[in-house]
Formats: sequence, structure tokens, C-alpha cells
Amino acid sequence: MSTPLFHEQNARQRIAAIIDAGSFDELLPPPERITSPYLAQLGIPVSFDDGLVIGRAKIDGKKVYLAAQVGQFVGGAVGEIHGAKLTGLFMAATRDRIPCIIIIESGGVRLHEGSTGEIAIAETMRAIFECRARKVPTIAVIGSDIGAYGGMGILSTCCDFRIMTEHGRLGISGPIVIEKWMGKKAYDSANRALVWKTSGGKTKYLLGDADLLVHDAASAVRDGIAKLLAKSRAVTLKAVKVRHKELADRLKRLGGTSAADELWKRLGIRDIEAASLASGPEFVAVAKGGKAGRL
Amino acid sequence: MKKKPTKTPAADKTVPAKSASRAVLTRLFGRSAHGIASDRSVLTGYAATGGTEVCVVGTTNGTYVDNAAALRLAAHVIDCIERHPRMPIVMLVDSAGQEPNRVAEMLGLASYFGHLLSCLELARRKGHKLVTVATGKAIGGAFLCYGMFADRIYALDSASLGLMPVQAMSAVTKIPVPVLQKLSRTMPSLEFGAAPFALLGGVEEVWSARDDVQGKLAEAVAKASTDDNRAELGKKRGGRKLALDIRKRVLAQSAR
Repeated sequence: MSTPLFHEQNARQRIAAIIDAGSFDELLPPPERITSPYLAQLGIPVSFDDGLVIGRAKIDGKKVYLAAQVGQFVGGAVGEIHGAKLTGLFMAATRDRIPCIIIIESGGVRLHEGSTGEIAIAETMRAIFECRARKVPTIAVIGSDIGAYGGMGILSTCCDFRIMTEHGRLGISGPIVIEKWMGKKAYDSANRALVWKTSGGKTKYLLGDADLLVHDAASAVRDGIAKLLAKSRAVTLKAVKVRHKELADRLKRLGGTSAADELWKRLGIRDIEAASLASGPEFVAVAKGGKAGRL
Repeated sequence: MKKKPTKTPAADKTVPAKSASRAVLTRLFGRSAHGIASDRSVLTGYAATGGTEVCVVGTTNGTYVDNAAALRLAAHVIDCIERHPRMPIVMLVDSAGQEPNRVAEMLGLASYFGHLLSCLELARRKGHKLVTVATGKAIGGAFLCYGMFADRIYALDSASLGLMPVQAMSAVTKIPVPVLQKLSRTMPSLEFGAAPFALLGGVEEVWSARDDVQGKLAEAVAKASTDDNRAELGKKRGGRKLALDIRKRVLAQSAR
């Protein structure tokens, strides 16, 4: 039997596939049955892990803290318990000086729990920056069908590094919401090519918002993580000024570009069709060959 | 609020801003509000509170925050860090959300927000106190991308805080409005507004029209500290009972 692609796996399979065999020690595991009282009141099924698997493991013999969102459960959305588990995990990472990895599969805040999830995401952002202040690496992995949207999209940009697959998507407002706002002519949410060129891993890699673009396979994600585990990005005046210039240049140079293919061309991709069909690593090679000006 | 009889030009780029948003600034900063410029609904400037000079960044008129707006807010935070070491930063929030636009998304709106947050993080580490006042709409991504990142967060009682109004929540979740309204009586997180948000610990204190808001702000800036106390507040006030204990449980189990 062939190995499933990373985006086809569920949260626990993904964890098992990227860590050293048998090294996972789940925190607040399902037998503890911590379930959302909000969903219960609304008559919606609950889950014993509230849609987030967290724990300790080893990758290449190095200790890591790991979180993986369960997309099958309310779209991986962040409720009070889910969010508190995430905040606690990053706090533990800071305390123990152990890198923390989050495999994101979430549309953002869980609407059924209203503002509790929103506050939890804000608290987790604070916890992530505590890690970074102590040079504890924080890595977001974005490679699922659901992607990283809403507050989780913003949260991913607070981490030191983002690893994406060509299948992953990173954004805030999703295509359906924008289509509602701007009309089908401006953004047809059923046009998958357009949706992926707007928010997909390839575009984010070209822009420099994804640090690594890897193949849609757990082994490739694992290799990517292993490369970054010993690295961190300090938030310094110099660093934020460099980033500020990059983002200002991007807006100046590409702000008038509305067509996705045009964006790719301006970023140095010559053969759009071939690049569209390329795997993550092939795309990286093409991008480098075209000397894509990563902004 | 009394509106000026004269028509505001369409492309109003300079101070004074619309009279209503000006009135809010004056209420918070008195005469020193003159030092705050409003450009395309983004506020930047310097003002004073309780005799202390503060840096002000914010949004007004319920605007949407796009890439350029986030960049301008970030630029002003960097300016403050470079030119005014340790000066407190007051963030004002009146924004309906992130710009819902495909091109904004394609160009990486999330990264612009992440950059703004990084600038604020740097400010905090360098000793700038961060205090937020939600003055109008404080919704979704627009609140997350700067206001909710403060040391302490306050709200005027007229402000609308939250994820989205019950009607919009109903449209997405397919749960009927009356059901959500009934539930919101026992679940403050589903309610929209400053008071329920405070019950969850997301706001330190709500200021009413009768309060001496200038005095309140000066006090808030003076006593702000960098510890994140929101989970504690949420538990104490009963609006968010689980978060603190779950977090503690993670910390305890992981220490074993």
C-alpha cells in the first residue's frame, strides 16, 4: 500500500508519521474527556480532544512539543478548550526551552464559542512570542485541505518559520467570504486554480511568506522541520526594519497586480503552466532557476 | 454627536478627521489630541495622557484594515521605538475587520498583520507599555492584528467587540438567530459588545459615558504591566471558566 499524502492524513497520523517511531506522549489525551460545553448546549457532537492533539515527542532524537489540529472536527476551529491547550503547550515550550511545532488545519475561530476562541488565539500569540524571546523555535506547518485561515492564519505568521506544501493555503478571509463581499466575478471560490494561486503554498513561497515549500508527504515535512529545529529568528529592530522594507517594496511593486498568473510572472516564473503542475520541490527549483525575486 | 454642516471632501487626507472620531480623540486625550493625524481612517501621532507623552496608533470610522494600513501602523510603532525609547503606546480600535479582498490576500495580508504584531512585540520588549482602547468596532482580524496584543485592553461601553454579530454567526453556523440569542444570555461569548467581552477577560474594564475617560486612560497607562491576565480575569468573572484550568493542566502534565 502506498503511503498517503500529508493532506490526506488526519492529525494523529500526521504526528505519528513525522516523529521518531513511538516517541509521542499525548497531553490531555482523549480518555480525559475534556469536551466543549458550548457545543453540547448547541446540540452539536463534541470530541474528547476538542479537535486538537497535543503532546511531546522526538524528531531526529531531539525533544519537541507538537500540536495538530483535527480538521474533521468543526473544521479544526479554535474554541475555548482547543485554544487553551494550544496556549498551554507554547507556555510549556518556553518553560522547558523545547521547540514547538503546530500542524495547522483550521478555518480560525470556532464561531459556536464566539469570542472565547478569539481571545485564546490572542493569548497563544503572546505565548508564541515568549518562546521567540527565549530563542525557542516555533514552527507552523501548513499542508492541509482546510489550510490556515482567520485567526490561525495570523497566528502562523507569529511563528519563527512556516513550512508549507503545495496543498497548503495561508490567509485570513477565505474564498467563500470574499466571494460574498466582492462577487463571483472578482473571486470565484469554486475556481480551485485561482484559490490556490491566491493563498496556496507556491505563491506564499514565491513571496517569501513560507520559508520552505516541501512535497505533500509526511517524510518531506519531517525533513523540513529537522532543518529548522536548531534555528530561531529574534525579533530585533534590525529584523523588523528589514521586514518592513520587504513588505513595503512588495506592495509598491505588486500592489497593482490583480491577476494571479501576472503575480507569478512578476516574481520570475516563466512557464506558468509547468509551474502550476510542478510538485513543491520542482517548483522551488523553477523559482530559483527563474531567479524569482523573493520579496 | 453634532455633525459639521460643511461637506467633508471625499479624499480627506488631513486633520481634522470626521467630527465624530475627533470627538472620541478629544475625549481620550483632551487638547493634545491635535497631535494625532487621521489619514484614510488610520490614526498616527503623539498625544498626552496624565502629563505623560504617549504614541498613538489606531483605526477609525469602522474601516477595514488592509496591507497598506497595517504597514502604516507598523511604521509608526517603529518610529516610536527609534525616536522615543520606552514611551507608552496607546492603540485605538474602530475597525470592522480585515480587508475582505482577494488581492490583499494574494499579497499576504496575514504577513502584514504578523509584521505589525512583531513591531509591537519589539516595543514591549524594549519597555514600551501597550494599552488598547476599543472605541468603536473591534471585530475579528482587525482586533487580533494589534489591539488584542496590548498589555491591557479597555473599551468604551459604546464599542462593539467580538467575533461577529449574532445574525452573521447564524448565517455561517446555520443555527437560528433566536436560539443563539437565547443561548447568549448564559453564554456571554456569543454576545456582541464591550460588557460580555469583559466577562470573558478580554477587556480589563469598560468605560462609560459618565466616566472621566481622560483620567481612566492616564491611570491605565500608569499601571499597565506585561503579564497576560486575561485567562485569570475570565475565570474570576465567570465568562470563560475553563481556559485557565486547561492551560494549567497542560503545564502540569508536561512537567511530569
